[in-house]
Amino acid sequence: MPLQGGVIAISGLVKRFRVDGAELTALGGVDLWIAPGEFLTVVGASGCGKSTLLRLIAGLEHADAGVLSHDGAPIAGPSLARGLVFQEPRLFPWLTVAQNVAVGLENAPLSRAEKALAVAEHLTLVGLSAFARAWPHQLSGGMAQRVAIARGLVNRPDVLLLDEPFGALDMLTRARLQDELRAIQQRAGATTVFVTHDVDEAAYLGDRVVVLAPRPGRIREIVDVKLPARRDRADPRLAGVRERVLRALGEDPGYPRPALVADAAWRRPATLAPAAVLQ
Amino acid sequence: MIAAPAARAWPGPRRRLARASAAAGLIVPLSLLVLWQMGAHRGWITPQILPAPDAVWAAAADLWDSGDLQANIAVSLRRVAEGGAAGTLAGLLLGAAMGLSPAIEDYLKPTFLALAQVPSLALIPLLMMLLGIGEALKLVVIAKATLVPVALNTHRGIRAVPADYKEVGALFRFSRAQTLRRIVLPAAAPPIFTGLRYGLSHAWLALVAVELLASTEGLGYLLVWGRQMFQLDTVLVAMAAIAAIGLALDRSLAFGEARFARWRAPA
Repeated sequence: MPLQGGVIAISGLVKRFRVDGAELTALGGVDLWIAPGEFLTVVGASGCGKSTLLRLIAGLEHADAGVLSHDGAPIAGPSLARGLVFQEPRLFPWLTVAQNVAVGLENAPLSRAEKALAVAEHLTLVGLSAFARAWPHQLSGGMAQRVAIARGLVNRPDVLLLDEPFGALDMLTRARLQDELRAIQQRAGATTVFVTHDVDEAAYLGDRVVVLAPRPGRIREIVDVKLPARRDRADPRLAGVRERVLRALGEDPGYPRPALVADAAWRRPATLAPAAVLQ
Repeated sequence: MIAAPAARAWPGPRRRLARASAAAGLIVPLSLLVLWQMGAHRGWITPQILPAPDAVWAAAADLWDSGDLQANIAVSLRRVAEGGAAGTLAGLLLGAAMGLSPAIEDYLKPTFLALAQVPSLALIPLLMMLLGIGEALKLVVIAKATLVPVALNTHRGIRAVPADYKEVGALFRFSRAQTLRRIVLPAAAPPIFTGLRYGLSHAWLALVAVELLASTEGLGYLLVWGRQMFQLDTVLVAMAAIAAIGLALDRSLAFGEARFARWRAPA
């Protein structure tokens, strides 16, 4: 057993969904061992089951076959020892920022004073102590997602799971939050699983990058990053990692080739509806 | 807290705008009042059918001095309070039960929707046979009128609580009671409050209707009595009182509603 907690072991994991009466295999046999304190990124095309994998680790979904365990104990449901940050902040609009973070402590075995202290500490950790009494609608997207990260960490979980948490943010905010997240992760020491569809993000953040292939979701390749924790975005070695990840993704006909990725990025993102652009 | 400085920086234009729009709303009633006074003064309409505003004002003063107006208002308000309270309670319970339990929804929703389609007034003939024309009739009609919008909005409000929010609760191992108290109730509070507001305004309308048809006291009865006595000034006083009280009830709940949802982004 390692000294530090936060080991996630996955073997033979299968998850199926019924969609319109048809059975869909979201994950078709995943084996993965995640080391304590590791920053693991998971990348893949949409529909490859990466969010499903994360929800299974969180305990929000149940596996159809295979075993998931956290420090040796099988995962049967959500646990305060595993924090999850969703794609959207999912803050409760009727609670202030501090109250939203305190939601995470509702069932924590702490006194009132200890909870208040933990909330204050985690707001400081994400740089929002000045906004403790603000309402969610008063926050920018980046600030809201930082509150969600504080809520995910407030129980001091030894595993932190993040599901494309920066997907909806602009590039600058996103880059800043990536750096903050790495710093926070090193201070908190939590095993981190970060799901994204962005290859740059996966390479920049991860100690290892898991490349998933779709239909059914399975691990295509695990790329070791072998770079120091403090990274430079311009580091040429990072370009090498990206290259390997892209090549692994490109072997899958369901994912656009690297050349097409550049082409698609040049065009307008599909998420912007033409009507919204015109207005 | 964050928006406060920004809001304080721009009080002038907003408040001026609010005052301007309130003033705009007065133009039509004031013009009508002037037209009414002119019409009565010049004899366009006979005073037996439409008495002049000053005559109505004098009638109002008479009714007030004699205590008749206050007594009838008190009777009407008591009926609304009693019938409305019963209807609100039943509506909240029914709406919550249908919102929280799909089984109860399956059993009760079709019947409830059918009942909701029957205007409260249409129940009066049947209820008269069952309950007579006493207080019980008024309370049941008012309670029914209140129940429908309260139950409907409570049911919808609870149904509309995003599954995403409940999942956050699941993540932090919320019990069913915690999910209800911490997530479902606050998330559904604004629509439930809207239902209460509709409930009260429906109660007031139903009250006047039932008093018109079967009563010997109350504002609705004052209307009927005025017409029968051919005292149209009394009819107009009663109408004005009904409108004023209805508006005051609605505004007070609207005020409460706004305070309740202070966390909402300003529209």
